[in-house]
Amino acid sequence: MSDSIIECQNLSKHYHIGGEIIKALDNVNIKIKRGDYTSLVGPSGSGKTTLFNMIGGLDRPTEGIVYLDELEVSKLDAYELAWLRCHKLGYIFQTFNLIPVMTALENISLPMIFAGIPRKERRKKAIALLEKVDLGDRLHHRPTELSAGQQQRVALARALANDPSIILADEPTGNLDTQTGLKIIHLLRTLNKERGVTIIAATHDLKIIDVSDCVIWMRDGKIEKVERNFKAADKTEGP
Amino acid sequence: MNTEQIDRKVKLPISEAFFISVRQIRIRFQRSKIMIASIGLGIAFMTHLNITNVIFNAYMADAGTTVEAYQFWLLIISVFVTCVGLINSTLIAVYERYTEIGTMKCLGALDHHILELFIIEAFLLGLYGGIIGFIIGTITATSSLIMQLGFDVLSKIPIIDMFKYLGLTTILSIILSVGSTIFPALRAAKLKPVEALRYHV
Ligand SMILES: Nc1ncnc2c1ncn2[C@@H]1O[C@H](COP(=O)(O)OP(=O)(O)O)[C@@H](O)[C@H]1O
Ligand SMILES: [Mg+2]
Repeated sequence: MSDSIIECQNLSKHYHIGGEIIKALDNVNIKIKRGDYTSLVGPSGSGKTTLFNMIGGLDRPTEGIVYLDELEVSKLDAYELAWLRCHKLGYIFQTFNLIPVMTALENISLPMIFAGIPRKERRKKAIALLEKVDLGDRLHHRPTELSAGQQQRVALARALANDPSIILADEPTGNLDTQTGLKIIHLLRTLNKERGVTIIAATHDLKIIDVSDCVIWMRDGKIEKVERNFKAADKTEGP
Repeated sequence: MNTEQIDRKVKLPISEAFFISVRQIRIRFQRSKIMIASIGLGIAFMTHLNITNVIFNAYMADAGTTVEAYQFWLLIISVFVTCVGLINSTLIAVYERYTEIGTMKCLGALDHHILELFIIEAFLLGLYGGIIGFIIGTITATSSLIMQLGFDVLSKIPIIDMFKYLGLTTILSIILSVGSTIFPALRAAKLKPVEALRYHV
């Protein structure tokens, strides 16, 4: 098994807007180590979301290759991609994106339905996950009945539902106040350590990157620098 | 990992889909009411014309009167009006849920799962709208005939045939509801997850 769980080679994504080419990603090469907590930092518009979309198989690159657990993402068909999203990846969004008509418990059960897990087992696991994120007393609340921080914690539990190997969190604290945001980040870090799940969190907020094993700095669709052993802050290497 | 380890099976059992759709209808009650009303009104109008015809013909059978042809065109127009209203409502209802569709795809849903959810919902809304519309149309038709011709008409109501009409009307209602949902839903289901997610705000 390879050391890096994600590898991007010469990855580019271009958008054509009114005769102009926008290079949302411009020849990106990165490796992400299995089990690491990686922060992807860059100003708004630097290409973080675009990179996530390529890694998660949500969109196709203009050029280049993404390997996810040694699978070449662009070679997968619709069924394989759906399977990958269901079993291997967990997504966390800035806007939480819980299904509004479902309770916390049902939201967490949904990915398990797609994975074919029987009802009883689903329920048991969903309750355990909600307890894990400290929402054991909010099982039957719908998103509108939860605070922003609670919604994001439900989203976090949902991302973990099928024991993914990677969690992609795109600005997970973008709609939260600093205090609540920090709590979410620490929860992510705890889960990362406890379960060994690889986490990549995009942000433009420098307050929340201290927990990272590795920080990738982006600007204008390019990787500016990669800092491994971020917390030790003793080693810096180029991209 | 290699492709052989992917068993390709992402599932959405019909019972679960049904449960989710019922949820959607119940929780988005305002939206559901609008949908049921747009179907129900058209169906009520259609039923009114049809039942008036049926009872009136039975009443006049001795005199040997035949169906009034213009009512056929009224029926066609009422179906058409129902469709326009309905397509308008379904477009909005589907559009409102792009984020949800994108999210479900991120969780593993396939195109046909999304389509399935919308179709079950449309089926149920068509069913409710059809039954409610039929009841309303029947009540208005019989009351107006009673006012014009007296309580005699009640004895002319063909009870057995009424069930047949209820069945046919409900089927038509379901076809209209599912038919007007299928195209916006298909378009939404086919979106790439990023495209669906981009629509929010
Ligand atoms: N669908 C799109 N069409 C055109 N341009 C896009 C699209 N998505 C992103 N971009 C452009 O690509 C660049 C990177 O965007 P994004 O990845 O969203 O940045 P970030 O997430 O870091 O804020 C921006 O200049 C943005 O305007
Ligand atoms: Mg972004």
